[in-house]
Amino acid sequence: MMTAREAGLISCHFCHNLNRLPSGQLPSEQDKAELTCYVCGSVIHSRIPQSLSKTWALVIAAMILYIPANVLPIMTVVMWGDGRPDNIMSGVMSLLHADMWPLALIVFLASIVIPIAKLLTLLGLLISVHFRSTWRPRERTQLYRATEFIGRWSMIDIFVIGILVALVQFGNAATVTPGMGALSFAAVVILTMIAAHTFDPRLIWDAIEESPNV
Amino acid sequence: MTRELSGALDYRTARACHECDLLQQIPDLKNGEIARCQRCGALLKRVHKNSLDRSLAFAITGLILFLVANLFPLISLKALGIAQHGNLISATIALFDADMPFLGMLMLFTTILFPLFSLLGTIYVLLNIRMGRLTPAIAPLFRFLRSTDAWGMLEIFLLALIVAAVKLVDLTEVITGISLYAFILLIITLATLSLTLNPDDVWDHLRKPKS
Ligand SMILES: [Zn+2]
Ligand SMILES: [Zn+2]
Repeated sequence: MMTAREAGLISCHFCHNLNRLPSGQLPSEQDKAELTCYVCGSVIHSRIPQSLSKTWALVIAAMILYIPANVLPIMTVVMWGDGRPDNIMSGVMSLLHADMWPLALIVFLASIVIPIAKLLTLLGLLISVHFRSTWRPRERTQLYRATEFIGRWSMIDIFVIGILVALVQFGNAATVTPGMGALSFAAVVILTMIAAHTFDPRLIWDAIEESPNV
Repeated sequence: MTRELSGALDYRTARACHECDLLQQIPDLKNGEIARCQRCGALLKRVHKNSLDRSLAFAITGLILFLVANLFPLISLKALGIAQHGNLISATIALFDADMPFLGMLMLFTTILFPLFSLLGTIYVLLNIRMGRLTPAIAPLFRFLRSTDAWGMLEIFLLALIVAAVKLVDLTEVITGISLYAFILLIITLATLSLTLNPDDVWDHLRKPKS
């Protein structure tokens, strides 16, 4: 069992070509000089440079924005001059009252469960890597994979707002305007998507290779 | 598939797992087979016959459907004698009009620009490979397409359209537009395309002349 880094190789993220490190260069020196893949020309690195600090910054920013995303209205429905602000949870409740529980469940998962689960997962991964945990690396990698895959579905609420704002324009009778909550929520989704991208799952396994027990 | 790796590792066919960095020899795969990392379970490689030709056909179909989906309304509302039509671009325009330029841009990129560019780019790459013209633009273009893949969100938009229609059906008359059918076919085509297109086959073509 040997990793590419131990063998002095860098795998290209895009074309999976194994690039040999220039002779005399130590794996730790990589991020000083920019190396490119000889097949596809992509910039390569053994580990994503500053993966942890970048991911921490993005996760913290997302956690802060998560508060206004849930407190501020995501949209306001104005009917005959009477404005009713909606937040994320009330959007789910209105679907539930319309007896549309499968859709209510999807929106509940996409808008509430997935963002929270994603933030907690990223936080947990960051902390476990920080403390060089050797606990269940395979499961942690799978958790990371699921997070990366599913996160974009949280965008559904933003799209619903966009569609409602576009369609419900009936002068005095009914209009829908987007609220600052929608802006914050969109930022949370984007930031966590980028955070999942900057986190390098190989860091989970580096702790295993470096631990003396293996 | 665990083998002694450190001794006889062939670097031309070996791969490092992109999720745990473990070097491993990939066995010869038959059509439809996939190889997973023996340590973390990540997908390492898959093999499909004629992946590129079939992908090209799906990408061209997708482009036509995308254009049709943009020509007519996806959904219309009727209330108080007024009809409101919603095209794919309507949500983008409405968010810009509502002084939400950031959300408008987000909408524009995820539902129009990335999907359109992805289809055009995929067609360009596959067509050129098919004709044996390996232009220098292919590698950076395909890299860009791979890294922006997650940001085209048309399938999420379709689900949002259903949710929005359900929210509105009590208040007004909701009429499905002509383009909705093209849009649903587009989503199916895009899903099939992403299953069919095997990026390895594109990279293999770029690798050949050099080694
Ligand atoms: Zn490469
Ligand atoms: Zn692995």
